[in-house]
Amino acid sequence: MINEQIFVGLEIGTTKISVIVAEARADDQISILGVGETPSRGVRKGEIVDMETVTECVREAILDAEDKTNVEIGNVWVAITGSHLASFNNRGSLALPEERQIEPEDLDAVEISAKEVAIPTPNTFLHTILQAYHVDGNQNVIDPLKSEGAMLEADFHIVHGIKTRIHNTLRCIESLKIGIEDVVLSSLASAQVVLSQDQKNYGALMIDIGGGTTDYLVYIDGSIRHSGVLALGGDHITNDISVGLRLPIARAEFLKIQEGSAADPVGSPGGIISLKNDPRFLGCDVDRSSLDTIIHLRVNEIFELIRRDIESSVEGIMDLIRGVMITGGGSKLKGIAQVAEEVFEIPVELTRARNVSGATQIFEDPQYSTAIGLTKYARLVTKNIGPESMLERFTQGLGSLFKKRLR
Amino acid sequence: MNTNPSRRILVGVGNAGVTVLDMLSVEVPGMTGLLAVNNDRDSLNASIVRDKIEVPEGDPGEGFRVIDDEFGQALEGASVVILCGGLGGETGSFLLSALAIRAKSTGLTTMACVGMPFSFEGKHRRDLAERALEKLQEICDAVIVIGNDQLSGGSPSTAAVGEAFLLSDRTLLASLLALTGMLSTSGPVKITRADIHNVLGKPGALTHFGFGKAEGSNRLHEALERAMKSPLLVLPGKGSALKESSMILLLLRGAKDISFAEVQAVVSKIEQIAGENCQIKMGVHADGPLGSSFELHLLTSSGGTLRKPAKTSESIEPNEPIGSKRTALSQPIKPLREEEMPSRHGPLEKGADELFPVFTNSISKSGKKSAAVPKQMQGTLALDTYQRGRFDKSEPTIVEGEDLDVPTFLRKGIKLNPPSRK
Repeated sequence: MINEQIFVGLEIGTTKISVIVAEARADDQISILGVGETPSRGVRKGEIVDMETVTECVREAILDAEDKTNVEIGNVWVAITGSHLASFNNRGSLALPEERQIEPEDLDAVEISAKEVAIPTPNTFLHTILQAYHVDGNQNVIDPLKSEGAMLEADFHIVHGIKTRIHNTLRCIESLKIGIEDVVLSSLASAQVVLSQDQKNYGALMIDIGGGTTDYLVYIDGSIRHSGVLALGGDHITNDISVGLRLPIARAEFLKIQEGSAADPVGSPGGIISLKNDPRFLGCDVDRSSLDTIIHLRVNEIFELIRRDIESSVEGIMDLIRGVMITGGGSKLKGIAQVAEEVFEIPVELTRARNVSGATQIFEDPQYSTAIGLTKYARLVTKNIGPESMLERFTQGLGSLFKKRLR
Repeated sequence: MNTNPSRRILVGVGNAGVTVLDMLSVEVPGMTGLLAVNNDRDSLNASIVRDKIEVPEGDPGEGFRVIDDEFGQALEGASVVILCGGLGGETGSFLLSALAIRAKSTGLTTMACVGMPFSFEGKHRRDLAERALEKLQEICDAVIVIGNDQLSGGSPSTAAVGEAFLLSDRTLLASLLALTGMLSTSGPVKITRADIHNVLGKPGALTHFGFGKAEGSNRLHEALERAMKSPLLVLPGKGSALKESSMILLLLRGAKDISFAEVQAVVSKIEQIAGENCQIKMGVHADGPLGSSFELHLLTSSGGTLRKPAKTSESIEPNEPIGSKRTALSQPIKPLREEEMPSRHGPLEKGADELFPVFTNSISKSGKKSAAVPKQMQGTLALDTYQRGRFDKSEPTIVEGEDLDVPTFLRKGIKLNPPSRK
């Protein structure tokens, strides 16, 4: 195949649709060739609500990407988000008939056993991500294939969501005669390029603030312990400003980006922001501390909700997180790191795709983290899989390929 | 269901009425205060309802005279009587109005829940039904009228005849459950008999009814969507009947954990559809176990004009039976007692208003109100100050029972300096 080393990531976001075309280099690095993009219409809170409009937008974004990179796009890797997605941790176990060397098939069987839990009927599994293997009670066996035992156990982080909603995304892309390589949880994609292996080992929380959703993921000891999607994002901040200051949405968005700050305005000098008259808008003076109060309350609440959700997922998990990495378009909001630090009480860093090369202005922008992450994920999944890399494949959440899952 | 049998009696009249009560006994096991009245011995024998009155066959007027006393005894201790049955047949059409007059004459709040015949049942039945309905609406404090033809969405149904009747009975049952549910609401968020009268007490009016049931995190939204799809909520050629309503009765029933925010999201959604001049009267039964499904009932009406709730004997013509003989009334009809139709300005209501201004105060946004609706005070937490803005039409983000689409500063009650216009 000619394009074997070309990967295309497609993110159908609430604000924009991005198509990243990237090339895999010999050293496993991803080199970005270009990005196709259109403003998104018909997507609310990360989910498709108007199929026809979204399909048209996706078509435009794909054509844009083809124009810019001169690559004909046949297959894509797709990110998925939405508040219908849910996750939990579960342990699978497999009793072997006799004490023997563990085989690759045993790893598959233990994964299947972990999935033998009741999820709501309309739901389907999206990911089964390995956390750790245990052999005969020996915890955290690094490579079970090299060990012997009679009992294999494994912990998994399992992500599931409503089948019909996931299918909406697939239908939209398939109607454009474009193939789908796999569907990937948005935060899992972002984490591939936003977090370093050291950070994953050390304990990290990644928060990707988008227009319609905020997606987050917790890594402890190199594996995913929790993931979540909150159907709140930058759009909510804009809406709050629009409601609170009685401004049209476009003005509210402008104020948020140009003037707003998420930092607690208590004790700051405040002041007045003058919005000028124009033919369609009667100018007004906006109180800066009111603007910042609106933003601060919303951002603070988003972080509080994430903190509470993580705390309730695994006992004591918060103490194991050493740093918070914030990415996504929403991370560009002024003062956001300060609010996160107050809520999580650990160091916070604003971040974007790393260890990628190519068009700098693209990967330096945090709003492309998910789409770029998809291409990195694609690279990890498709590279030759030997017994050695199997473990890495699993721990990165690259367990099962999409086609196998659709049965 | 927490109902007090000493206060409410459901009377199933004729074959359809008895069938509906049987369905009800299956649906809500242990429900008391049910009475089956029919002249069809087979139907009565087959019924699982405990209390039955058999009307002798033959002339309905004569038959009614025979059971008059027995029926009067059955009503003892009740304060509300709801009659249920199908109109169009000889028995139902006559007995429903005769029993209604009898109940009314003892001073009880009298309501009815009736089905109008399908057009395929013929013009004769249709005419009979219409005459009986006119009478019922004149007598009763509230009448739910289910137009069977409407059930198929106005177009000829391809359903089997048996299925059509089953659907008709099921709908009667659902509306009966809605009505009894509304009557038994109590506490700060309740629907009063006066509210029901305002919506369902209009002679000539057609009732619109919607019911939805859902589970899970998005239960309220889904239940509302299902209810809105009810063919009985459609006005032919005009879209949703809610748009034409001046008042809507809304009953929510479900688990203990129904949150303020969820309820609010539903109300504002209905408000959006119904428009500014509509009032929403709500009752909530939040006593189900956690995780139980959530039910939403909507009742409203179109057409007709409201008459005064309290009637005098002069305002009711003695029953003109379908048979030739007049029915003798054992007691003169008394006006409705004051306590049977609680006023919104009664002491209990006032307390509720203060406690829950959002729920009990007017949801009407404009000053234009139906003359029959008492003027109400705007509470400090009135719903229209809550705004979901651009998220108005999207699926709500409910976390920990709060509608997070509503701006944080509003939910936290933070005061802001409004912008000053130049």
